[in-house]
Amino acid sequence: MSRARRHAAVAFALLGGSMVAQGAWIPAKAALAQLLLERAWHKTRGGEDAVRPWPWADTWPVARLRVPGQQRSVVVLEGATGRTLAFGPGHLAGSASPGAPGNSVLAGHRDTHFAFLRRLAPGDELAVEDREGGSRRYRVREQLVVHETDTAVLAPSARPTLTLVTCYPFDTPVPGGPLRYVVVAEAS
Amino acid sequence: MERARTRAICSFCVTWGVVLAAVSAGALPKDVGSGALFAKSADGSFETPLPLLETEVELKVTGMAVRARVVQRFRNPSDRWLEGIYVFPLPELAAVDHLDLRVGSRVIEGQIQEREEAKKTYTKAKREGRRASLVEQERPNLFTTRVANLGPGEEVEVAIEYQEALRYERGSYRLRFPMAVTPRFTPGPALPVIAPQPSPVSGITLVSTGAEHDQCIDFPVLHPDAGPAHPTRVRVELEPGFPLAELHSPTHVVAVYPKGADGAHLVELDDYPDRDFVLEWRPQAGAEPRAALFSETRGDRAYALLMVMPPDAEAGAASLRREVVFVIDTSGSMGGASIEQARASLLLALEQLDAGDHFNVIEFDDQTEKLFPASVPATPRHLELARRRVRGLRANGGTHMLPALAAALSGDAGHGDLRQVVFITDGSIGNEAQLFAAIERDLGRSRLFPVGIGSAPNGHFLSRAAKHGRGTHTLIANPGEVDAKMGALFAKLESPVLSDIEVLWNDEVQMWPHRVPDLYAGEPVVVTAELSRFAGDVVVRGRRGDRPWQVRLPLEPGEAQRGIGVLWARRKIAAGMEALALGADPDAVRVGVLAVALEHHLVSRYTSLVAVDVTPVRPLGELLASGPLPLNLPAGMQAPQVGALPQAGTPAALLRALGAVLMLVASGLGTAGRRRRRPMPDEAQRRRQRPMPADAQRRTR
Repeated sequence: MSRARRHAAVAFALLGGSMVAQGAWIPAKAALAQLLLERAWHKTRGGEDAVRPWPWADTWPVARLRVPGQQRSVVVLEGATGRTLAFGPGHLAGSASPGAPGNSVLAGHRDTHFAFLRRLAPGDELAVEDREGGSRRYRVREQLVVHETDTAVLAPSARPTLTLVTCYPFDTPVPGGPLRYVVVAEAS
Repeated sequence: MERARTRAICSFCVTWGVVLAAVSAGALPKDVGSGALFAKSADGSFETPLPLLETEVELKVTGMAVRARVVQRFRNPSDRWLEGIYVFPLPELAAVDHLDLRVGSRVIEGQIQEREEAKKTYTKAKREGRRASLVEQERPNLFTTRVANLGPGEEVEVAIEYQEALRYERGSYRLRFPMAVTPRFTPGPALPVIAPQPSPVSGITLVSTGAEHDQCIDFPVLHPDAGPAHPTRVRVELEPGFPLAELHSPTHVVAVYPKGADGAHLVELDDYPDRDFVLEWRPQAGAEPRAALFSETRGDRAYALLMVMPPDAEAGAASLRREVVFVIDTSGSMGGASIEQARASLLLALEQLDAGDHFNVIEFDDQTEKLFPASVPATPRHLELARRRVRGLRANGGTHMLPALAAALSGDAGHGDLRQVVFITDGSIGNEAQLFAAIERDLGRSRLFPVGIGSAPNGHFLSRAAKHGRGTHTLIANPGEVDAKMGALFAKLESPVLSDIEVLWNDEVQMWPHRVPDLYAGEPVVVTAELSRFAGDVVVRGRRGDRPWQVRLPLEPGEAQRGIGVLWARRKIAAGMEALALGADPDAVRVGVLAVALEHHLVSRYTSLVAVDVTPVRPLGELLASGPLPLNLPAGMQAPQVGALPQAGTPAALLRALGAVLMLVASGLGTAGRRRRRPMPDEAQRRRQRPMPADAQRRTR
């Protein structure tokens, strides 16, 4: 084996290894962050405001979203920025607060926190716990696949509505596509 | 790199606030006339068109006082009973003291009540099917009108009136009427977040302000393409009391009709309410006022509005050395014409610096960046660096003003005789109270000069920031004004006229504002006072450079004018709210403000005007639908550029797949190399003990 070939093999192995590790770290981080967020959420419900889950965080929990049918629950963070979404679903600034009247829009990654969206069907139940200790139940009204520029799903609504947004298709390995999967649920 | 990404992300989420608002209009069916917003009613089964609106503004100017009547015409184009809700801005110190509701020939006059009580009165009337209207203050310069039980096809007029004092500066009087609201961005972490209050009526929720007023207010904003929502007519009846040298509007095209002697004019405007209306006039040379006292007697109490113009500084006075810190807001809301104006203002500002001055430039959005670590002398090299930086400024990101303000106010290295902080922003922020407290605490010898940029700068924030910062504020509404306004500001900054100002009355008086700010060339002292009688003298004194200056005026009833008492009351309320912002006891402030607001019939944070008809009009079986009316987006503010739903996929799977492929290639390279040689027996042994290759790993994952 030539020296060059061996070097190439080592380089490929290192690069490949680091990518695999990074690829594994993303879901691990997503799961780990939720553990820390649980703590912050408990404090928030205990009456504290804007509890930062870790000291350098630029976001804080605003609600907890539960899916009783799937025994699943995630802590929702303020702001739907790329940085926030790595740790939990984000509440879109400017939309109604989760659990409050109006259209509350939450975005989450299709392969971590919002992977469960694909298994939701009309009639399924969702529940949102808000910071004041209240809880509101929603029923899924419809699922839509829309283009990212179709912002009609963000329109304010009269009754308490939960709009969950994630990327579509679910299985494509390449992120950044133009399609979004949207689940609309209304207060039951 | 990291910064660029952060900016992109933040601009993204800031834009969202606007997108959400704009979408409500953008998603309208095409055949709907501008101004109508379709909202689903409570049961979601039908769509309700909201009432259309027309606004008519009549401004009567007498001397220094403005009496304004704003008539909002609600028309219900549908066949259902509706409630209309409308959010609108008024000048910062507007004293709203009158409400009337007109249906056909009936006029119902509004009563002042405590806020909660007024809301109850209104809600009760609404439930009982009676016609009612409620005017509430959301912020000191932002109000809402509600009108309940608008019958099918019916038209109702809601009129409010307010009193205001003109601004007089550099020989010009200035009247401003705000017509667009800047959507606000509240940075989250430091603020207590309040859950939106559900609207008591069925249908859409309008505002999420609740009890805390320094919170974000959400309302729909019309997409610029949708055209103006509400035609607004403005008429100004001007009686300045002296012949005019000039009368013009820097913001709108107006029709001007001379009307008799003494400078009386009628000014008409028929335009879109997407930017604030400004009218300016100048007395003829020789007619400029040096001092004026307006008075009003109400029962056993007397009220005075005093204006004193200090003489201009003598020529030849030695110019003072200054340290000037320029702070520029490059957050997303500054996009469009605003950032261009800001850049132009800043470039102009850099030109004004003298060789002996020191300066620095601080740029902020969600992060604060200083051009120089500390202020530097204004050498050609430093100025060139600054100019290059300023030309490259782009607007995106959130508005985190506090760190920028702290950076500007700290770091006083004692350069020069004066330290001035020029803060260029559109004031689109929600955490005002916090900022005021920081200014008050960290001001030191610095003076703060906020410059409001854009078609709808937050004048309330800017004027109060200037007050706490002991400076003055400048509002620039359109690019054409940059040169003149900034020029005037810089001329002023170079020539402080009077500081440590005191007004001494010979009587027990309550004077507002309590502390008179420093005066610069062309500015008068303006105070309001409540006194027991007009007698004796009033003395205004201060310091010019290092010499004392004072003027003594006889305190005579002078020119009687209606509404001076209301102006005084409004300033007293403003002082109370300021104290509250700085941490005074909320209960004490409430009691004080409530008393003066109820006595003077003023809408405030604690009081609202409510008008209720006696007889019910809506049959009790009929449902009442309601919804907010969309606002016009301020001119120049960009419609959402992103116009997209958030990106919500991670590259995890991609990384894993690519990584696996690479490792596969690596192992392929290794194996192929080895296969060519004959493997030694012990090497073959070692190979068997190796961990599974990458492709196997991928399959098991």
